[in-house]
Amino acid sequence: MLQRIWRDCDWTIITCTLLLVAIGVVAIGSATHINQTGLHFSTLVAKQLIFFVINVALVIAIQFLDYHKLKDWANGIYILTILMLLAVIFVGTSALGAQRWIQLGPITIQPSEFSKLLMIICMAKMLESRFNKLDTFKSLIVPVLYVGFPILLVFMQPDLGTSLVYMAIFIGMLFISGIRLRLIRIIATVGVFLMPLAWFILKDYQKKRILVFMNPDIDPFGSGYHIIQSKIAIGSGTIFGKGLFNGTQSQLNFLPENHTDFIFSVIGEELGFIGCIIVLILLFMLIYRSIKVAYTCNDRFGMLLATGIGSMLCFEVLVNAGMTMGIMPVTGIPLPFISYGVSALTTNMISIGILLNISMQRTKYIF
Amino acid sequence: MLESLYKRKKTSRFDVLFYIVMGIFVILGLRLFAMQVLEGGYYQAKAEGNRLRMVPMTAARGVMYDRNGQILVGSRPAYTISIMPNGKPLDEDELAKLAKLLNKKPEDIQKKVNDHKHGYEPIRIANDISMDVVTSIEEHRHELPGVSIDVEPLRYYPYETMAAQLFGYVGEVSEEELAEIKAQNPNTTVGAGSILGRAGLEKLYDSVLRGIDGGKQLEVDASGRPVAEVDRKHTVPGSNIHLTIDVNVQKAAEEAVKKQLDILRSSGATGAAVVALDPNTGAVLAMVSAPEFNPNWFAKGITNTQWNQLNNDKNHPFENKVIAGEYPPGSPFKIVTGTAALDLKKVTPDEMIFDSGKHWLIDKRNAEGEALGWLNFNQALAKSDNVYFYEMGNRLGIENIDLYARYFGLGEKTGINLVGEAAGNVASPEYKRKVFDQDWYLGETFDAAIGQSFHLATPLQMAVLLSQVANGGIRYQPYVVSRVDNPDGTPAEIFGPKNLGVLPVPKNIMDLIREGLRDVTNEGGTAGALFKGFPIAVAGKTGTAENAHGRDHGWFVAYAPYDKPQIVVVALVEQGGFGAGSAGPIVRDILSAYFKVPDATKKTTDTKKSNTKNNQQNIKPSVKE
Repeated sequence: MLQRIWRDCDWTIITCTLLLVAIGVVAIGSATHINQTGLHFSTLVAKQLIFFVINVALVIAIQFLDYHKLKDWANGIYILTILMLLAVIFVGTSALGAQRWIQLGPITIQPSEFSKLLMIICMAKMLESRFNKLDTFKSLIVPVLYVGFPILLVFMQPDLGTSLVYMAIFIGMLFISGIRLRLIRIIATVGVFLMPLAWFILKDYQKKRILVFMNPDIDPFGSGYHIIQSKIAIGSGTIFGKGLFNGTQSQLNFLPENHTDFIFSVIGEELGFIGCIIVLILLFMLIYRSIKVAYTCNDRFGMLLATGIGSMLCFEVLVNAGMTMGIMPVTGIPLPFISYGVSALTTNMISIGILLNISMQRTKYIF
Repeated sequence: MLESLYKRKKTSRFDVLFYIVMGIFVILGLRLFAMQVLEGGYYQAKAEGNRLRMVPMTAARGVMYDRNGQILVGSRPAYTISIMPNGKPLDEDELAKLAKLLNKKPEDIQKKVNDHKHGYEPIRIANDISMDVVTSIEEHRHELPGVSIDVEPLRYYPYETMAAQLFGYVGEVSEEELAEIKAQNPNTTVGAGSILGRAGLEKLYDSVLRGIDGGKQLEVDASGRPVAEVDRKHTVPGSNIHLTIDVNVQKAAEEAVKKQLDILRSSGATGAAVVALDPNTGAVLAMVSAPEFNPNWFAKGITNTQWNQLNNDKNHPFENKVIAGEYPPGSPFKIVTGTAALDLKKVTPDEMIFDSGKHWLIDKRNAEGEALGWLNFNQALAKSDNVYFYEMGNRLGIENIDLYARYFGLGEKTGINLVGEAAGNVASPEYKRKVFDQDWYLGETFDAAIGQSFHLATPLQMAVLLSQVANGGIRYQPYVVSRVDNPDGTPAEIFGPKNLGVLPVPKNIMDLIREGLRDVTNEGGTAGALFKGFPIAVAGKTGTAENAHGRDHGWFVAYAPYDKPQIVVVALVEQGGFGAGSAGPIVRDILSAYFKVPDATKKTTDTKKSNTKNNQQNIKPSVKE
């Protein structure tokens, strides 16, 4: 059994994941001044590493299961997800104007992170039966309501970023599910015209983020500060970077939240263009592999699962890296595998586990 | 067939998905390339600006020494409090805490920070902080990350108000001044926070005294807290200058002026000017102008109250009255008139002239209306008889008075190396014509002969005039700086006596003048009572100059010892009334200090403390000396 796993598993995915987590842990160490004397060993690095080890075990464990079982559990997972998101709204702790965390013993978990993967499973189940049948608006009603409810709950936390990730996943999976392109065109056109209305349901801090994104200089010491300092960090890294632990922007705290949302800026500053491009290539390889897994998968459920995972990772990379470079507004979306955050790491690792599982079963059927 | 259709559709959708992902990564990669490769330099400069702060270090200013090597003006270490700007507005909490610790208004600190818009140099908030405050700020260090405490050399005037107008004062360069200086000389060593001389010798010798400020380049974190020192440029201390001032004479002069003004202020005296010269060189031994100010106020950063107090003082504490004050010379001018009359043989020393209380041509009288009867030259000078000198004026004519006044250096600047010297004026028909477009009258010649009319002289000019009498006629340019050092302490420039001209008057005539002045301090002279029992032979002249703007100015000019002059002292008390009563005691006290004559008042206080007999025995021999 183990031998079979060893032989059949997708080594590209594993290598990329390991390298990304390794780069992430080093970057978190740098961002939390792990190298400076007088500072205790960074508990964040330790936490991230401990959870990585646990996650590796999880990933291996997943290989002994059949991802098709998830299909049977999907309804339960859907209810669990809804309950979890409701729990956040009622018992969660808030930070930075958003209520996203649930305290669970020594760790705080961020249910919206897990909910992304859980929703991919639910959507895959839901869309599998509608594959190639999505050619009227009527056929879209149930899927939209099915996905819309959790999106609304996440949006109410409020977590605009995660609700956007849901949408990205949903659109990606709808697309692969063979939705009629005419429907997409109509929805996109209407969406563009409805966009201004969205302004009225945004919270003040969200509106400000968007305004500041347009022009960071309107609030250089407030919400524009992140963007300005992040751009300085990345830009000043130039081609080769200032060297690990030598980034002045991150080491001297000019860059806030640099171990979570702005970890890419730390990499940009300390490892330069070369480091950033390596990270982007690794992420691209992962996403490419997930599309490939989806493409080569023989059953629609696995195909949709892999597509969902690929869409999630791709959208997160776009929003997070784009944000650090000032081409995307600031949202609390982490960079997959690299940002500190055990909920996000666990979610992404389990996603990789599922991807590996799908890719391996495909092989099994072929040979 | 259906299957293959499905397959094609599936393939193309995955292709589209792949190209979308590809497109996203290409955009991210291009953006990275643009920022890091193309615009990297721009962001690098921004990052450096974020983290690096140039902290200027003020160079210690050069010391001013007196003629015996005593420090007159120096520097002392002082704690200064600065705020390290971090590009963000000041944290309100931090501001409130700092204001409380420094006992200042938060608005005042905020204003200083706001005024300092450009650059990232630290903003000096408070100078010369007491140890208590430094300690309490240190205790709250973690709450005040952007605040730095530095030890800086602070200009220090150990004698506080002494010779304030001569020494001048210093102040931090303002942003406007800095811009101006930099525009004039791009290579200037003056930078933000540099201390500049503002007045007096501090200003005149600023380039010598200032030195070169250094600085350290600090790395700071986002809150402005210094993290590491990156680079350091050491300061070059300013060079020293040596003055001709004798601190003991200066001190005595200051005390004498203060004592006398305390007495006379109630009767309307508004100020005083005193200068002591070495008549054989022109070296200034003491220079006092009252009222004065305390230059330490400026060194520490003057408060509004202090500034208003000085600025609203209508007696001009910033004016160096010794060189800038122009006063009618009054009776001491009789030296000029007398010299001219004798030299031009308009009178013989023995000719007796009768003073009936008024002159026979024009009804001009003595100051108090007294009539002194028959007088020869010596008596007339000693008793300062106006009628006698009206007659001298009558015989000389204004042209000759004018000529001799100019021989003595009146009406032109002495050329002392100080800023703001006035030239005074010599009364002449031409002057009157020019200014008032009026004819000259004989009565004005009479007035000019006794130092009134349009005559104006600075106390320094009078000191030079008397020096010529004392030394036989050489007009030395007064000077106050004897040596400027190189940074290593070797002399860079040495200043000595400078001969401006010799009075074309024979010695026998000068002797007659000197004898007359000698008799002023003898019994029967106008200052006879003042110098009664004084062990040193003093030649002097009192003066009570009429003042169009108020009470009479009191003059006393003197040199001593009479036979071998070492010191000339000129004192003027603005609106002090009689010269012998107002300016005279000042001169006597200075001479007492110079010749170490035991002071009469001091003696009584001493006797109170110790055995009377012992004391008198101690003093008597020194009196004989």
